[in-house]
Amino acid sequence: MDYEKLVNLATDLGCRLMASGAEIYRVEDSVSRVLTAYGVESPEIFALPSCLIVSINTPDGRPVTRMRRIGPHGTDIEELDIYNAICRELCADRPEVGEALEMLTLIPAKHRSFKPGMILCGYAAATTFFTLLFGGGLFDAVSSMICGAAVGLCLMFGSKWMGRNSFFRTVVCSAVAAFLALLLSRFGLGRDVDTVTIGVLMLLVPGVALTNAMREILAGDIYSGLSRTAEAILTAGAIALGVAAGIALDMTF
Amino acid sequence: MTIINEYLLPCFYSFMACISFTLVFNIHGREQLVCGIGGAIGWLVYILLDETIFAAFAAAAAIGAFSEIMARVIRCPATGNLLVALLPLVPGGGIYYAMSYCVDGQIQLFLQTMLHTLGVAAALAAGVMVSFSVSRTVFAARQAVKK
Repeated sequence: MDYEKLVNLATDLGCRLMASGAEIYRVEDSVSRVLTAYGVESPEIFALPSCLIVSINTPDGRPVTRMRRIGPHGTDIEELDIYNAICRELCADRPEVGEALEMLTLIPAKHRSFKPGMILCGYAAATTFFTLLFGGGLFDAVSSMICGAAVGLCLMFGSKWMGRNSFFRTVVCSAVAAFLALLLSRFGLGRDVDTVTIGVLMLLVPGVALTNAMREILAGDIYSGLSRTAEAILTAGAIALGVAAGIALDMTF
Repeated sequence: MTIINEYLLPCFYSFMACISFTLVFNIHGREQLVCGIGGAIGWLVYILLDETIFAAFAAAAAIGAFSEIMARVIRCPATGNLLVALLPLVPGGGIYYAMSYCVDGQIQLFLQTMLHTLGVAAALAAGVMVSFSVSRTVFAARQAVKK
């Protein structure tokens, strides 16, 4: 068996799982299952949110190790489902390693995704219903729908002029949200500015990140949990900065 | 009318918010509905128990149990359902208020809100953890019985 290729396959699968937003334990578990299914004894896998290390010992005692860096990524559950299914298939059928690698390269074509317009509707509707959920009235909901659409536009198409730095992007998006909410309330749309702002900021606020961080700490992946906590605090800081900037901008008018 | 206003409407809002978020996280088909129902169940438990930290724990446990069961029924990882259904409970407002107190220089209020927010996040995580562990044990036992 070609163990170098096998390690490549497992690392690739793990990387793609991680990039689609899987938890650390799921990535480590999947990679370990695939390697064990192909007859590797006690593979060693270590995953961090930004890095994956896979190391095995071949039967003739030669260690093979591969490390891959994982860049910033979002969450794509469809992709996660596909790679999870592939992982099960590999464990059950154990196709030739070359064939399995080919299967991985064919996947992006199978992958469904929503049209940008649809995603924008998702952003707008989500903020509307969050504002209603947090006790906003009808006008608040309309106001937050407009703000949500604006923030959604910034998130989806803003990376061209804002760069890829997520801290700066969060600052800009939350400034837009706070400024628009205040501006609309001046025109009589939306009475409770705080509720509108929080409803819109649900798109940006790292609540999910913080909860995931806690889950990882509880699952025993302390390093990953701590680095995610740091990320959540950084994002929260960016939001606070952005909102302050938005309010300041509104004062000048 | 109070039942509709106090319980049904918020659950409906939670349901719709979760469905909207499935578009953002690229979830398709039946899973979208599962996410929405999970969000509604979680919010119902949360308001029935008076929105305390314990309520967050119970709601997360309920969502976790629901998505673990649905993961077996429609054969998909529980991650997606869990992520979206937890969204309405997630302490977004807490983080926002804490940071705005911090910028304002009100350290006492900042610490108070921050600790409460961390508590809620930890309660959510613990709730998910509990139902995850329990479902692992239960489903493993059932498979052992079948064999």
